[in-house]
Amino acid sequence: MALSALVALALAVVPLPPAVDAFRPDFLVLVVFYWSIESPRAGGLALAFAAGLALDVIRGVVLGQHALALTLMAAWATHLRLRLRVFSVLSQSLTIFALLTGYQFVLFWVDGATGNPVTTFSRWLAPVTGALIWPLLAGGLSRLHDR
Amino acid sequence: MVAFRNTDASGRTSGLLLRCVLYCLLALGLIIFDKRYDHLGQIRRFLSVVAYPVQVAVASPFEGWDWFRQSVSSRETLRADKAKLEAELRLANFRLQRYEALEAETQRLRALRANTAEVATRFVVGDIMDLDIDAFRERVLVDKGARDGVFVGQAVLDAGGVFGQVARVEQLTSEVILVSDASHAIPVQVNRNGLRTIAVGTGDMSRLKLPYLSTSADVVAGDLLVTSGLGGGFPAGYPVGTVAEVKRDPAQSLADVEVRPAAALDRSREVMFVWPKPDAPPQSGALAAEQGPAHAPSPAPPGAAAAAPQTAAVPPPHHGAPKK
Repeated sequence: MALSALVALALAVVPLPPAVDAFRPDFLVLVVFYWSIESPRAGGLALAFAAGLALDVIRGVVLGQHALALTLMAAWATHLRLRLRVFSVLSQSLTIFALLTGYQFVLFWVDGATGNPVTTFSRWLAPVTGALIWPLLAGGLSRLHDR
Repeated sequence: MVAFRNTDASGRTSGLLLRCVLYCLLALGLIIFDKRYDHLGQIRRFLSVVAYPVQVAVASPFEGWDWFRQSVSSRETLRADKAKLEAELRLANFRLQRYEALEAETQRLRALRANTAEVATRFVVGDIMDLDIDAFRERVLVDKGARDGVFVGQAVLDAGGVFGQVARVEQLTSEVILVSDASHAIPVQVNRNGLRTIAVGTGDMSRLKLPYLSTSADVVAGDLLVTSGLGGGFPAGYPVGTVAEVKRDPAQSLADVEVRPAAALDRSREVMFVWPKPDAPPQSGALAAEQGPAHAPSPAPPGAAAAAPQTAAVPPPHHGAPKK
């Protein structure tokens, strides 16, 4: 679990060409969602909070911003997890899209409340790519988890 | 496809709500403390040292690849590079010949005007780390930090000209905000006639703009802009960019001026931190007051910080500086 989170954290800051950069899914957020659904008692909110704090430090934004957004959405994912397990891939992706959008919205709100809003449209692209990549990522993680 | 097979599925997550509220309150507390009271410097510094290995680990494959490419580059390439560098060095030396004399002369003249020029004397070169900090803000991480004496608001140059200023300092790294960031502004001067104004970033690395020039201002495409040194944040006389296009709409009171930055904002790998002269003579009252806002940690509203002192500066030698 910690390893997957570390890899995701690295993926979150790997340099990409600027054209692709806006499409980068929030890998760490997806990984946190996966563990919130798969084994909420092992990781769950503590993992979400720690991962959020790591993002805050690396991105250099106000401390607690990503932690707040990630905790809220991980709690929501945990709440929905029994339903998510029986969902089809499409419904899962749609739910994940809603969660990711909620995550971006909290970030957006904190950005605005602390006085440096980022109003570009491109920040709402990440949830779309995140939802698209979710089946692959969750599938891969669960296969790794099997071993 | 995605099979969650944890049989503990029905396991209780009792207290989920409670824990969620607790963590959220903790996060909100962090946000408020960090924003309002700035008490979390120590915690942040500690966490950033913990995060440093991750940053290095991510950046190192790219650096390794660069190193590999360099070490296998052919003899011809090296030879060509050497010839080119020698030519550049010769040119630079020609230009430098008069520099010492000119600097002394400038110092004398400035002393006459009781104006203390912030002549930069100490430089430290830092490497830009290959990391995307934030897709929406023009910032880079550089591998020099508080340990090397870097401070917030410090000017950063690259080989072409002004690169940006330090926005945040950690123990081992620092975050530099580029001149092209939409929230960055820098006091500049047209080199040809001394006209002073402010260059503001656009969020696009290839473009700055001069939003505070009137339509009648004497500025034409091709003009070189240099730092004016007003506001005290940047040393004076370093190139910021060249004017690319001036649009004058008679219906508007302000001209629309586009500037191409002198620094290679999207290509530089190394940048230079600049320290103002350590043994600078004591500031006169007016100048010290003028420098007040610039030394406050200012990257958030540098426009305001830089714009304010400009109006209070020494009387303009040529044209009245257009006010905001």
